[in-house]
Amino acid sequence: MKKEVPIIEGLFKWPSEKPQLIGSRCPKCGSIQFPKSTVCNNPECDHSVAVEEYGLSTEGTLYTYTVHAYSLREPFQYHKGPYIVGAVELPEGLIVVGRIDVQDEKALRIGMKLRLKIGKLYEDDENIYLTYFFEPVVEND
Amino acid sequence: MTESAIVSAAINEWLPAGEPTPLLIDRLADAAIKALREAKITPGELDAVICNTSSIPFDSPAYITSSAQHFAHRLAERIGIREAQCMNVSAACASAAIAFAVADSMIKTGLLKKVLIAGIDNSPRGFYLPGQSYLDPDPYAAAIKVVGATNPAYWAMWARRRAYEMGKDINDLKEVMAIVKEIHSQYGALNPYARYKKIFTVEEVLKSAVVCDPLHLYMICATSSGGGAVVVTDMETAKKITDKPVKVAASAVGGPIYGEPMPRLRVFSTYKKLRLFTEWRKPIEKAYKIAGITAKDVDIIECHDTSCFHTINWIDQIMGWEKEETDKLIRKRQIRHDGELPVNLSGGTASFGEAVYSQAFIMLHELFRQLRGEAQERQAKKNLRIGMCTAYGAYGAYGCIILEKGW
Repeated sequence: MKKEVPIIEGLFKWPSEKPQLIGSRCPKCGSIQFPKSTVCNNPECDHSVAVEEYGLSTEGTLYTYTVHAYSLREPFQYHKGPYIVGAVELPEGLIVVGRIDVQDEKALRIGMKLRLKIGKLYEDDENIYLTYFFEPVVEND
Repeated sequence: MTESAIVSAAINEWLPAGEPTPLLIDRLADAAIKALREAKITPGELDAVICNTSSIPFDSPAYITSSAQHFAHRLAERIGIREAQCMNVSAACASAAIAFAVADSMIKTGLLKKVLIAGIDNSPRGFYLPGQSYLDPDPYAAAIKVVGATNPAYWAMWARRRAYEMGKDINDLKEVMAIVKEIHSQYGALNPYARYKKIFTVEEVLKSAVVCDPLHLYMICATSSGGGAVVVTDMETAKKITDKPVKVAASAVGGPIYGEPMPRLRVFSTYKKLRLFTEWRKPIEKAYKIAGITAKDVDIIECHDTSCFHTINWIDQIMGWEKEETDKLIRKRQIRHDGELPVNLSGGTASFGEAVYSQAFIMLHELFRQLRGEAQERQAKKNLRIGMCTAYGAYGAYGCIILEKGW
């Protein structure tokens, strides 16, 4: 039985019933970051309060995207083209780059509703490597 | 503040990336000596040697203090210095432009008089694949590992968003990008240092394979190896060297600005607060302020065009245009040498391929020659007084240099 392993640690909670991207938030000024940080990134912040871990909203809208036609070479050969890279706007005001998982690329529309999911990126003899995707929110879900 | 001026410029012929010979240090020394000879300065007179770092992966078994990050020191040793300050400036693909800005500020303070800015780079072929050391496993460096977001993927996303915000069909933007390639390639054909001499048609560009849509293959630059050298001095010294000193009206450096909505190369996220592409625009505004000019004073542009979208975005940001003025200018072919606003008469990165961190030397060399009327068949027809050079790089690196006739 292969082990499910995030492609890198710390970007999302796993295993989890309701996975979220892990960012950080400054309680003083409200600025949010992803991936998480140890310091606030707001240039006006006085840094008087330590930032806290913060689970990002799991739904957003498509800000922009591209279909990446080609596969990458070693050591990233598991990125097999074509695949979709997009930027998703979350209600917090964050724009997050991620893989978009749709059946038909023609269905992609800037502004469409998307939600986070964790899925398989690739596997080897020992592990299944996971990354985060955004998939369309289907009405009547 | 002391005035500064470029007194000479030299570049290599750009070669395909990935080829370790001829040796980079030899090609760099070649350009440096050429620039020094044109400047009638011996290496012993230099107050500083400033080079861009390179993108080359570390080659030492210990994986530290890579020689590829220390070309200033290697060059200084090669050509011989007496007491020049040596440093290497790192700012991704904007490194050369920013090395120039550093040199310029040292001269403008009056501290130094004669500076050699030089640099060269090479890379493996194909998509740039940024790595992570086990000693610095910062997740922020891992967008390519986690998402597969290559550089063209980011550029394609930028292009698509611009089309969307302007209410334009993406195929419209594709056509404008194809025209950019058509025009840039016409000048590459006339530049002896450019790698590609083939003139492309709009049809050929649009028929080429889609890499990251909307970017087709011929809208994306190749990867190359190349370098150059520029000598900058204080104006008093410059006037003794040449009767055509090219004044550095301004040099400005940018960075990753909080609130810039568009994810810059290699990041996972941005925090949306400001106008799209604010961080591209900021150093341009700073440079305008320092030079005491506005967009309408810019006669000629050399901009960093790793894709044809970049040319469009740079014109937008330099001119402060938001409503397809750039598209119209390009469709009317007014960015040609005989047009209202010549852009990339060097042939651009489109014709050279990108030599990663040393790319700005192409632009500086071209503006230097254009302003002095020495660009031969590429020479702009209009009267030139002010040229602008813009460079950018991963992680939010930006450089903007304004050059002006100093005679």
